[in-house]
Amino acid sequence: MPNDNSTINIKQLANAEFLPHVTALIEEGHTVTLPLRGRSMRPFLEDGRDKALLAAPTGIKEGDAVLAEIQPGHYVLHRIVEIIEKQVTLRGDGNLGNEYCRIEDIRAKAIGFYRKGRTKVDSVNGLKWRIYSAVWTRLYPIRRYLLFALHPHVPQRWKI
Amino acid sequence: MKQKKGFKLRNVCGEHVVVAEGIENIDFSKIISMNESSAYLWEKIAGREFTAEDLSELLLEEYDVDEITAIIDAKAVIKQWAEAGIIEE
Repeated sequence: MPNDNSTINIKQLANAEFLPHVTALIEEGHTVTLPLRGRSMRPFLEDGRDKALLAAPTGIKEGDAVLAEIQPGHYVLHRIVEIIEKQVTLRGDGNLGNEYCRIEDIRAKAIGFYRKGRTKVDSVNGLKWRIYSAVWTRLYPIRRYLLFALHPHVPQRWKI
Repeated sequence: MKQKKGFKLRNVCGEHVVVAEGIENIDFSKIISMNESSAYLWEKIAGREFTAEDLSELLLEEYDVDEITAIIDAKAVIKQWAEAGIIEE
């Protein structure tokens, strides 16, 4: 909360408390611009740097990045890798593992991203996202090595 | 001065927040959280021109403070709102 000094502080709220409000606004017909946290959508999106433009989850298909409530109060913004009947398989671009949910658990669809502080949106219908998606999802067999190359994580005990 | 258009006071997770609201898009990267007295003042001056004196009077009506504190606080609130970019001349 702003107090008597005049700096503007950034406030973070827990997903379980905050995202239901986002869901409600989406259901009311708004779009929502949401600042993103976490590394699960690397390499396209980075922790604390980028924002998603979310809209109502209509016309959901494989390859879409969606906001889903995979467990009560537990939300992810990940890509759909597969939909079989009503069962949805999600996988963050920066993850190796999957999550599962039902179609009804999808709260919003990402229709664009504001990356690297830019005010111009990278639309999911644009060439940049579509080429990136086509390439990155096909590289899944070597994703582990690509992620390591892009974002090396050296365990503490191996550091010199 | 007055409020800029398109800033609506909402209650999100028990916080008073002013959200930059286009007709369609709600931008949570441009959301301002207000304390009780700031939210109270914001509601009161909605849709009209106001001055520091107006805010000071509102504070005196609602809270148990003396005039000097009220005018100092009123000016501080205006400064914060201006920095947050939610008011204009």
